[in-house]
Amino acid sequence: MGSRWTWRLVALPGVVWLSVFFLLAFYVVLAVAFGNQDTLSQPVPHWNPLDWNVGYVLDTLKNFWHGGPFLKVSLRTVEFVAIAVALSLLIGYPVAYFAARHAGRWKGAILLALIVPLWINYLMRMLAWINLLAPDGIGSDVLHGLGIEKLFLTLGLLDEPGGWLNGQPTTVILALVYGYIPFFILPLFVAIDRIDRRHIEAARDLGASARSAFFRVTLPLSLPGILAGCVLIALPMFGDYYTADLVSASTQTNMIGNQIDELMRQGSEKVTGAALTLFLSLFLLGLMFYYLRTTRRAGTTAQTT
Amino acid sequence: MGHPRERTGLTRQQLLRRGAGAALAVGGAGVLAGCENTTEPIGASAAGPGGEAGKLVVAKPVGPGGLPLPRPDSAVTWAITPENQPIADGRPVERGPLSIYNYADYLDPATLKKFQKEFGASVKVATYNSADEAIAKLASGQVSFDLIMGLTGSNMVDLIARKLLKPLNHSYLPNLEKNIWPELADPFYDRGSRYTVPYVVWMDGIGWRNDKLKEDVAGMDVPWDIFWHAQAYRGKVGILDDRRDALSMPMQRDALRTGARPDLNTEDADLISKAESDLAELSGICNPKVTITDYQTLPEGKTVLHHSWSGDVLGAAFYYLPKGVKADVLSFWGPEQNGVVQNDFFCVGRTSKRQVLAHEFVNFMLDEKNAYDNFVNFTGYTPPQKGIDAEALLSQDLIPKSLEQTIVRPDQFAANQELLQLSVTGQRLWDDAWSKFKAG
Repeated sequence: MGSRWTWRLVALPGVVWLSVFFLLAFYVVLAVAFGNQDTLSQPVPHWNPLDWNVGYVLDTLKNFWHGGPFLKVSLRTVEFVAIAVALSLLIGYPVAYFAARHAGRWKGAILLALIVPLWINYLMRMLAWINLLAPDGIGSDVLHGLGIEKLFLTLGLLDEPGGWLNGQPTTVILALVYGYIPFFILPLFVAIDRIDRRHIEAARDLGASARSAFFRVTLPLSLPGILAGCVLIALPMFGDYYTADLVSASTQTNMIGNQIDELMRQGSEKVTGAALTLFLSLFLLGLMFYYLRTTRRAGTTAQTT
Repeated sequence: MGHPRERTGLTRQQLLRRGAGAALAVGGAGVLAGCENTTEPIGASAAGPGGEAGKLVVAKPVGPGGLPLPRPDSAVTWAITPENQPIADGRPVERGPLSIYNYADYLDPATLKKFQKEFGASVKVATYNSADEAIAKLASGQVSFDLIMGLTGSNMVDLIARKLLKPLNHSYLPNLEKNIWPELADPFYDRGSRYTVPYVVWMDGIGWRNDKLKEDVAGMDVPWDIFWHAQAYRGKVGILDDRRDALSMPMQRDALRTGARPDLNTEDADLISKAESDLAELSGICNPKVTITDYQTLPEGKTVLHHSWSGDVLGAAFYYLPKGVKADVLSFWGPEQNGVVQNDFFCVGRTSKRQVLAHEFVNFMLDEKNAYDNFVNFTGYTPPQKGIDAEALLSQDLIPKSLEQTIVRPDQFAANQELLQLSVTGQRLWDDAWSKFKAG
């Protein structure tokens, strides 16, 4: 009894923190989105749900429905994030697998190498890339020297030699991958590291090849880690606006975050900005629910097979 | 319209599920209760003449609270009300500290130090990031300042409607008449300079690297056309990240072609929509960056052609040149007429307790020497002083000939237009067009 109360007490500050900074903040967004604005274009929140005005939210919905700019940036955002997450998986899984399974005494060093870049602020890392990828930057030279630039040019992923910062979707996606991939690898590493080796040994003893042991045992068991990694990086990527701003700034690479930033920063459409924020939040909540359902199901599948 | 100093600031599981459930439930209730369905701002219908009688008057744009929107052809004299009178003549100067509200890095620290020494008063400077933010904070009463600087004529209606300003007493401001251009000593947005005094001026133009561009931009019939012929500079072209400045650029281009006088404060949906599609055309031609970092990217060569504010190109030459790059590789062209000019101003806060000191500060900044130091040593934005012109700077070798046009002349200021506050519906047209453009 006593210890139960202690834990409740200990958890209280965290719960209060989350309530205030998530629920309350979210309610403010709701009240603004379902509010109105005065003639000085400042939002007038409607705190009482019974007074809610659905005009701005409906307008935003119509914008999506009629294929307006909001739909365009949203589709682009989904495309960018999907590619970036897929690339993170392709690049991150082997790293996590190697670190967990084969790194031996280098395990610590690899983990450290993953974490060290996070000591430097995200913006600083992106700003560094701007100098590296400038036409006369070291990064551009290396990419040119290694033939990567030529490959990208042939594939049509780059407009012109040295044009990495010329407003390229490729650069934005790669920057997103670079910025968020450590958050993908770390949970995945933990998931793979925790897999009981005896499962794999049993599979091999029963005649599975190394390949099929990986696909039928290791991969399914690491699925929760993959999903956790995907969710951890996809959520912030959907709201990201500074990456596209820094490495491109072209209208052709603007994401939904840029659109919200634009609405909130200047002009007369702050309420529309709140409505758009609301739609983004709902979309992300949907993703979150999907994740929770899948992990629960993945957990039971792994146990029964 | 946006002030050049308005820079972008870049600077759980169970609970989440429950929270979302609650929010959805509440949202559903709101819709079910059959609430309002409007995007008409509160009080908008009250503004402007309505009904049958309304048809008898020429419609003029009306701003918040039904106050007239100042226009060059429709100047506004703001009333001085009995409860808000200017201070009397000849009052002693108060002791400090003087509190100033300003954009960051928009006042020379050395000039400020000189003021403090001269008046034996300390000065505290707080900063804001956008005019919207400044006005919202001032109006909320959270903050109180003796002096506010950096706001523009398009903020005037807000400042008056929200009762944020104290009227000025010109007997404390002899430098106003002595030094400031007549064009701005009695501006249309505040006839008689009853509440404001100009600080600096700038204009929209084209900044480019004359060592990287083969075209003679300034020599073109319609220099704005360069953006639509910039295929060779794809990815190294920039457009100002400001809705009004950017969208008015194709309007200026059209006007320069036809010789007509454009209305850069238009509320005509077709004109605004055309400007948007003209601007969107650029994506295919040169995929422009939409930024206000030209003061860095031009000298660094990361961009070679930019839609720029004059002061930023001058600032680039003054402070941002990398080693080995000379100022004379930078060029600037600004239109003689029908383009965009802007100015910002000083004003005294309604709740100021040190009004005499605030007046003294304004007068100090209007002194030619102080204004010059603040301009050349720090801001890069030209004060509208009779004694400061391009020739003076050229003769001192402070700027190369290629940047002569960054210094706005009084006659040029008068022949160009300011981007001004629009009516609520007009503003929304520009905002929607901008949203469309930014979506790519």
